[in-house]
Amino acid sequence: MHIPDGFINPEIAIVMFIVAIGFLVLAWKKVRQTYSSSFASVIGISSAFIFAAQMINYPIALGTSGHLVGGTFLAVLLGPWAGMLSMTIVLLMQALFFADGGLMAFGANAFNMAIIGALSFYVVKYMNRNPNSIKSFASSVFAASWLSVVVGAIACAVQIGLSSMFANAGGIVVTIPAMLSWHIIIGIGEGAITMSLLVALKRLNPSVIGGLLMLKAKKVQP
Amino acid sequence: MKKYLIALGLIALFLVVFIPFASNEPDGLEKVAENLGVEEHEPAWKGLMHDYSTGLVEDPFLSTLLAGIFGTVLVLIVTIVLVKVTAKKPSASKTVLKES
Repeated sequence: MHIPDGFINPEIAIVMFIVAIGFLVLAWKKVRQTYSSSFASVIGISSAFIFAAQMINYPIALGTSGHLVGGTFLAVLLGPWAGMLSMTIVLLMQALFFADGGLMAFGANAFNMAIIGALSFYVVKYMNRNPNSIKSFASSVFAASWLSVVVGAIACAVQIGLSSMFANAGGIVVTIPAMLSWHIIIGIGEGAITMSLLVALKRLNPSVIGGLLMLKAKKVQP
Repeated sequence: MKKYLIALGLIALFLVVFIPFASNEPDGLEKVAENLGVEEHEPAWKGLMHDYSTGLVEDPFLSTLLAGIFGTVLVLIVTIVLVKVTAKKPSASKTVLKES
């Protein structure tokens, strides 16, 4: 879902930069307020793993592949704001060093994957009403990660659909269904992988799921 | 330091196991562009390792593996430095979340 340079118009790229920077400043402030620097190793290792995991494309159908984005994974593990920052670092390194995702399109890519991915945390928060049930946790994580990919793909479809490169092809009326048709399938992969990883981690050591700890701490002190 | 080396070792092992199975097919967005006849231009900025290959070694598996390990270490270092700079020192405040 990484948009290369040239796919979106400069004015759309600029708007997406402004929106992304707004969210990232907020995330930066939240992390500053609530995290101790002893979190550095957990956040660092999880982002490093997501970078590696994003390199592995899995085939879906008809000569198309997808790969894990990991936005929901990081958000549930680290909390939404730290997850947003760590995913942004992954995307920034991909753009700077590997030309995976354009530099001009960076704001759009950060919005579609890091910000939407991190906000999917609130889907888990809303759906996971029974914190002691693994089933409830697993299904809410699956739904949140599937949604994060599908909503990200719609955002991407709107950005490219409004741009001149895709104007001849028909614009958003064409790009939205086209992007959706692949990403509702890719999202199932995202959901399955994220769910397996987080359920395994939760079974192994429930306290590593920092994002959920954060939720519980908030509920205790209104 | 030890935990970072263990983590990097495990991630490298993950890459060694999964790179051979990774699909080279276009991803969702690339496929949409292809079907709609939109061509991706050669990027102005190609990065150090375009398409996750180092150019140092011929073998595509090793080339991707090296690029992957380089990127993993890079993301690890940048994230740790950024969090250390951003986050509070431990026990600076009671509201600060502590790693359990």
